[in-house]
Amino acid sequence: MKYVTLDNLKKWLDDLAQEVDLVAPRDVDGHVLYRPVASSAEILFEYQRPELSAKEFIFPDTEVLLRIEKRRNEVKQEEVLPERKQVIFGLRPCDAHGFEVIDALFLEQEPPDKYYANHRQRTTLVGMACPQMWEGCFCTSFGSGPDDPSHLDVMLREVEGGYAVEVVTEKGAALVADLPLEERPGEPPPAVADGEQYPVVSPKQWREVFNDQIWMRHGERCLSCRICTYVCPTCRCFDLTDRVVEERPGLVRIERIRVWDACTSTNYRRAAGGHNSRPTKPDRIRNRFFCKFCYYPEDFGPLGCVGCGRCVVSCPVDIDIREIMVDVAQAVSG
Amino acid sequence: MTADNNPMRPYLGRLAGVRDLATGIKLFQVELTEPEGQATIGTYRPGQFAFVSAFGAGEAPFGIASVRGPYLEFAVNAIGHVTHTLHALEVGDPVGVRGPLGNWFPLDEIKGRDIVILGGGIGGAPLRPVIQTVLDRRADYGHLTILWAARSPDLLVFTDEFDEWAAAPDTEFHVTVDRGDDRWQGHVGLITKLLEEVDPATQNAVAITCGPPIMIHFVFLTLQKLGFTPQQMLTTLEARMHCGIGKCGRCNMGEKFICIDGPVFWQYEVAEFLEGFL
Repeated sequence: MKYVTLDNLKKWLDDLAQEVDLVAPRDVDGHVLYRPVASSAEILFEYQRPELSAKEFIFPDTEVLLRIEKRRNEVKQEEVLPERKQVIFGLRPCDAHGFEVIDALFLEQEPPDKYYANHRQRTTLVGMACPQMWEGCFCTSFGSGPDDPSHLDVMLREVEGGYAVEVVTEKGAALVADLPLEERPGEPPPAVADGEQYPVVSPKQWREVFNDQIWMRHGERCLSCRICTYVCPTCRCFDLTDRVVEERPGLVRIERIRVWDACTSTNYRRAAGGHNSRPTKPDRIRNRFFCKFCYYPEDFGPLGCVGCGRCVVSCPVDIDIREIMVDVAQAVSG
Repeated sequence: MTADNNPMRPYLGRLAGVRDLATGIKLFQVELTEPEGQATIGTYRPGQFAFVSAFGAGEAPFGIASVRGPYLEFAVNAIGHVTHTLHALEVGDPVGVRGPLGNWFPLDEIKGRDIVILGGGIGGAPLRPVIQTVLDRRADYGHLTILWAARSPDLLVFTDEFDEWAAAPDTEFHVTVDRGDDRWQGHVGLITKLLEEVDPATQNAVAITCGPPIMIHFVFLTLQKLGFTPQQMLTTLEARMHCGIGKCGRCNMGEKFICIDGPVFWQYEVAEFLEGFL
């Protein structure tokens, strides 16, 4: 195996932080989050699952799409497409898998999303294998696992004194070209992938449960708080709006911004005339899970869940996607 | 459809004209100033929609309301932030337009057929290009029946065009309101009641409707009662969409997206939706 010592890795990261936007797991007031870091000293090397996915660094929760300048009646528009390279270090495999899910819609369906494509292109993903599965994790139900390198550019696995380094893509090879790697005998031990497996039934079978009582049973206690979509590495709904950033006589500066949206919010389907075709919580909960297991795979290919478990631990009323998977599987087989 | 290969950037234009259409509803005429925008949006077909930007407030989707004249036309009801901001604009003010988006009414495929138009309130706006097309190519289509409705007389749109429609050859025009007022002397009652009274011939006919979802639902039921088949009924649906290109998620009905699979649907397509529009 290729190997790097922790000290050499830290030195490399310190240099890297000077050249690129470096994002890594960090302790923020007791919360582990992927955050921009200025040096390796800020990076956590021992951590479980960050509380939020890294989605915001490829698909920002608030992103300026256009800078619009209005001088009297003359309007100029400028696209905002950052060019600086970005490296997400310490990314968990489920979060990398989440990007692949969004790629299927934002990159592979015409027309591609120019902003997402730019972030994806400027970013290199350096993964850190989970040594085990954490509370709520069920990535193995989606053909992945705690040390699955397949959605990353480089994968690190902790071994004694440092890390085993697996280069997955050419992009990853270019990034670690100057990382001082040694050859060492042996391979890193596989992660403990002993999490429970949950049944994934086909989109066609999901159609059978559209009118099932499942949605009332799980959905009526929903608070419409939207935390499930906020923490989800694959939820990609968005809203667009303008904000005025400067206004003086003869000049208005405006930003057209894209912000995350959530299909679980009360007025998501409210139209201009006041009609709301998803007026109840069970309607909206059903849509969220049908999107993940039926609509998204039918329309774009991949399932809309990677088994990160964040919605499981975040939901204030314990709506548990794993229980829903089990209930759906029972309903279609029974 | 894309400016700078970026479908999220609107083409720039200016407001060329505004007129009151009904209480709270104005008709906006937009002139695009970018040649690329003129060329792209100039390809639109009846039934397609576009986003109109009120810079500083945002953008909202509207059906394109005319195929005649040099300008793009949009009927806008002042309901939310963007539409109220649009209503405050004056002629000459800059606006943006993203489009044309979505599918369109299959007007070439239904040449030679009788056409029945059923418009409810501002839902009549996306049907106006269909009426114009039939009237401008009168020989290409059979009998035209227009049923026009609103909740009240002050909400009827395009009233200044009623005379043209009523006088057109091989055309009949009927109008109704749910509730009249002191001056209203016309038909009172829901559009479905008017439809039963008019009882248009079904043979070789295609009915096209737009209005509030509940109206579309009952118009379809009434049409079926009168003998229209699912292959003879078209509608156009709406949602408060944000992208218009199948990405933002807002307008899904089951696995379908109103913005790219619609907004125009045949009744047999609507009947097969896993998740209904009502």
